[in-house]
Amino acid sequence: MTQKNRLQNGGRIDRSQSLTFSYNGKEYQGFKGDTLASAMLANGIDLVGRSFKYSRPRGIVAAGAEEPNAVLQLGATEATQVPNVRATQQELFNGLVSASTNGWPSVETDIMGMVGKLGGNLMPPGFYYKTFMFPQSLWENYETMIRKAAGLGRSPKKNDPDSYDHINHHCDVLIVGAGPAGLAAALTAARSGARVMIADEQNEFGGCLLSTKETLDGKPAAEWVASVVAELSAFENVILLPRSTVNGYHDHNFVTIHERCTDHLADIAPALQARQRMHKVRAKWVVLATGAHDRPLVYGNNDVPGCMVASAVSTYINRYGVVPGNELVLMTTNDYGYQAALDWHEAGRRVAAIVDTRTAANGSRAQAARAKGINIILGSAVIEVQGGKRVTGVSIAPISQDGNKVTGAIKALSADTVASTGGWSPVIHLSCHTGSRPIWNDEIVGFLPGKTLQKQLTAGGINGQYELAAALSEGFAAGQKALSELGLPAVELVLPKAKVAVQDAPMSLFHIPHIKPTSQAPKQFVDYQNDVTAAGIELACREGFESIEHVKRYTAMGFGTDQGKLGNINGMAVAAKILNKTIPETGTTIFRPNYTPITFGAVAGRHRGELFDPKRYSAMHQWHIKRGAKFEDVGQWKRPWYFPQGAESMQDALNRECLAVRNSVGILDASTLGKIDIQGKDAREFLGRVYTNAWAKLAVGKCRYGLMCGEDGMVFDDGVTACLGDQHFLMTTTTGGAARVLEWLEIYHQTEWPELEVYFNTVTDHWSTLTVTGPNSRKLLSELVDYDITNENFPYMDWKQITVAGVPARVFRISFTGELSFEINVQANYGMHVWEKLFEVGAKYSLTPYGTETMHILRAEKGFIIAGQDTDGSVHPHDLGMSWCVAAKKPFSFIGKRGMARQDCMREDRKQLVGLKTKDPKQVIPEGAQGVFDRTAQIPMPMVGHVTSSYWSENLGHSIAMGFVKGGLSKMGESVFYPLADGSVIEAEICSPIFLDPKGERQNV
Amino acid sequence: MSDNTTAQETVTPIKAAVMDQLPSAAIQGQSPLHHADLDSLAQQGPKTGGVHLREHKLLCHLTLRCNQGDEAQKAAVERVLGLALPLSPLTSVEKGDYSIRWLSPDEWLILAPGLEAFDIETKFRTEMPGHYSLVNSSGGSTVLELSGENAIDVLKRSVSVDLHASVFPIGKVVSTTFAKSTAILRRKGDHTFELIIRRSFADYIWLWLQDTSREFGLVIDA
Repeated sequence: MTQKNRLQNGGRIDRSQSLTFSYNGKEYQGFKGDTLASAMLANGIDLVGRSFKYSRPRGIVAAGAEEPNAVLQLGATEATQVPNVRATQQELFNGLVSASTNGWPSVETDIMGMVGKLGGNLMPPGFYYKTFMFPQSLWENYETMIRKAAGLGRSPKKNDPDSYDHINHHCDVLIVGAGPAGLAAALTAARSGARVMIADEQNEFGGCLLSTKETLDGKPAAEWVASVVAELSAFENVILLPRSTVNGYHDHNFVTIHERCTDHLADIAPALQARQRMHKVRAKWVVLATGAHDRPLVYGNNDVPGCMVASAVSTYINRYGVVPGNELVLMTTNDYGYQAALDWHEAGRRVAAIVDTRTAANGSRAQAARAKGINIILGSAVIEVQGGKRVTGVSIAPISQDGNKVTGAIKALSADTVASTGGWSPVIHLSCHTGSRPIWNDEIVGFLPGKTLQKQLTAGGINGQYELAAALSEGFAAGQKALSELGLPAVELVLPKAKVAVQDAPMSLFHIPHIKPTSQAPKQFVDYQNDVTAAGIELACREGFESIEHVKRYTAMGFGTDQGKLGNINGMAVAAKILNKTIPETGTTIFRPNYTPITFGAVAGRHRGELFDPKRYSAMHQWHIKRGAKFEDVGQWKRPWYFPQGAESMQDALNRECLAVRNSVGILDASTLGKIDIQGKDAREFLGRVYTNAWAKLAVGKCRYGLMCGEDGMVFDDGVTACLGDQHFLMTTTTGGAARVLEWLEIYHQTEWPELEVYFNTVTDHWSTLTVTGPNSRKLLSELVDYDITNENFPYMDWKQITVAGVPARVFRISFTGELSFEINVQANYGMHVWEKLFEVGAKYSLTPYGTETMHILRAEKGFIIAGQDTDGSVHPHDLGMSWCVAAKKPFSFIGKRGMARQDCMREDRKQLVGLKTKDPKQVIPEGAQGVFDRTAQIPMPMVGHVTSSYWSENLGHSIAMGFVKGGLSKMGESVFYPLADGSVIEAEICSPIFLDPKGERQNV
Repeated sequence: MSDNTTAQETVTPIKAAVMDQLPSAAIQGQSPLHHADLDSLAQQGPKTGGVHLREHKLLCHLTLRCNQGDEAQKAAVERVLGLALPLSPLTSVEKGDYSIRWLSPDEWLILAPGLEAFDIETKFRTEMPGHYSLVNSSGGSTVLELSGENAIDVLKRSVSVDLHASVFPIGKVVSTTFAKSTAILRRKGDHTFELIIRRSFADYIWLWLQDTSREFGLVIDA
């Protein structure tokens, strides 16, 4: 049998299902039911990585989420690479490929190890601040070297082939943790008919009962677990979530759970299944039954592989049938620790000694150890261990009862495994997430959950109740409490009987003294993942970092992916000792989401690729695709940008489209414009208040352009509004501004002018808008309408209800190109029909579809602004040369009136929008270019405004531009210069922005 | 030319402009999911699965905004539709092909057979007193019916509201965020839900529904 540490019997593994896995390129065997860590230990793998700073060899320390060292890279292929996987939580599957992440060039022969050995004192805390800060120019080199040497795992370079899921839940009671307390709480709540969810990070329910030899009602505890799970599964209102880590506890009992659905099956999820799922739970009550983590002691060379936390030793033996060594020395400050030695002994391997730091031990477990003839050394501690890549021996010495010094001779013992425990640390992380500060408790030597504002209950180990019987009854009580708070009936529950152990008080000890001062003793690690030592914390304190928050930041304690689950309390104790304070005086420890690292995939869920952001389409979108349109994003809309023909370049296509509109007829899909239906007797008054211009006299059948400003007087949207009936208007907005304008109207109506009788409704999606424009547009349209659309009968700025291609339509004679134009609005279900009919009859006029870019050029030829392109929230209508659109004399004020009358808004040298004609007609100024009046000025040159719109105009045969120039409206004919990045300078003349048809005759025919 | 100069020029200004927006039956309308060709998928696609999807297309959608405290308005609605306005938040009423969903304290969505929009609008304009607005939004949305034992699983992935029958009974309606779009969601049966979605987002929601239902099997019903 190659699994040299595997027991013949026992554990929750299935020895009939052998699984092959690889670690650092070598193949090994494990069993179904193993974690990667238990399988590695079974195979005698001692080394799982190199430490972050000193590059020391590291082995597996723990058996769960708190593991700091066995953080591996997983993945058989490039696409399935996953960094930062805790081997202690990764279930083994056949074909699993893993590798250590720390250690360069390899974990066995490490180049940085030399630095660590030679330079122990060269890398004190604050080392990075002190050493790599100067010269700053070299930081990038340092960083590359450090990262390569430290190795923090790597992300895949190929797309993740898996899919991820999000799901929402609501429940009466969410129980976190399916150990004895959690199961008792869940069963209580479920029996009352409550909607219950229970989540646990392990692959099966049971919590600590999966790793214990304790009995319930005289039977193995696992039998009780199985019966509870079976009963819970039968309730329709109960959701059981194994393999699901409750990662975040947020305000209002909103809880996020990370479920690993298929990580235990293979590298890639089976077809149709999501690899991981994020559960978003809104719970009326939350019961935290998260248990406790065993806290290791801090002693010399306590990071040599073979040093473990005591309870993990029991877990590997009892749950996985793996004894992670041959000869154990156990160091404990409490009765619970004895269990590891008892289990080790029972597994048939040698316990060299139990070293109890207390001077007496007469509890049940100590007596049991004594009865088995195990050597118990009282009042002593393991002050250091020997060994490089594996423990070879320990040094034991008597210590004073205040735990501060060694009091006697050192005794050497041979051992390959050192288990240590300083007592349990309640898993209070989730209770901290909502802002609750934990409270130190001297009796249990640990932090307990603090006061909470949430509807939160706690039960079991998290409360410092570690005995099985106590955990069960606390779980039951929490369940009953939740039921009574929810107004649900109480239930009966006969709890199974557990043996009650006699306990001696634990000793409050964290940092084991050494014969040498801490700074000269062998390294005593507090935070394994970040290589923070007791000496480092003492140094930080001596250097003036007295707040534990500063100590943490200076030493990086608790900053790793394990968030200091094992080390934080020990670190605080070390700081408290040197500062001569108590632990609570030193500060408290706060944990933030997430409890354990979570994949980006689970965060993203289905919101990736095509579903990353909604794409909005008009009713004619399929036609645009068939016609080969290039699309532009406008808000979430996909709008045709231009329609290239054959191998046409973009500029060629734009030139062709622009000429077609000016010379014959073009068509634009304008359906994306925001459209708001406004009804009510005060609709007209309301328009007058939100637009800058006058609306009182707009007659039914007429349209008008309007400008909308914020309270500050700055333009934020514009569009044409038509008077459909005396109390009925249709407002259009920019494509991107539609939702914001509707909200703006509603806010003003609901909060400022509720007395106005007016209602707003969005009809953006209801109408398709087809803009037919160009000198031939009337000829084309008249072939499809039932109405006289001559200029006399249907003049500019009128709208008519007529039938187009058999479809009832509202047609607006408004123009954004300056050409004769008809904007045809039909119910969107018929948009495609009308669009296609227009092309059927439009062939003889060479009807040309054009996109947003051509639209931009055509409107710029006419000097029409685009809100959001030629405005940026800092320009008012006068800046735009649009004073004609401000009706200062309206009886009621309008939004922005006072804003634009501020002193600063009246300055004559404000940046004003003007036209720009380049001296060289072929030159097109880049949009965004900054103008200067004096091209010879020294850098930094005084800038006088930027170019907002700039195009080549094929119609005019020269470039055109609009831009802001300080005092530009009174500088017509003067020059402004645009120095470019390449050193060249473009000179332009300030002119009217209306480059074509200044009298507006073309649209009026 | 002369025949066509009628309505616009002779009628005096009206409160609101109501028009029959539908062409003759010869012209086929295209629903927002026309391009997905659900009819073909219904014929050729799988016949069994945990999620069934059916589009109720080209219906009459009217948004009514009025005063729920106005008895005369409520009576008028009942005269026109034969249904009383649901006044309790998040409720709906239904009779045959007509239904009304509560959307907000002064807003309701009326669904009726597709050809009746103009008739209903016209009747409202004669019957309804006071300040109100009635807007035809038939072209701007479509109705999707999700059913099957896993329909609720798809919805739990799409909306954050509680869908448990004890708090989301048959007839309940909510306007809510659906994935990254919006929907008006109503329960029609134990395992049947109805989504009213916006035209421009229809393709996104169609892609979303296919993605979320993949593991359960999606059946398109004609």
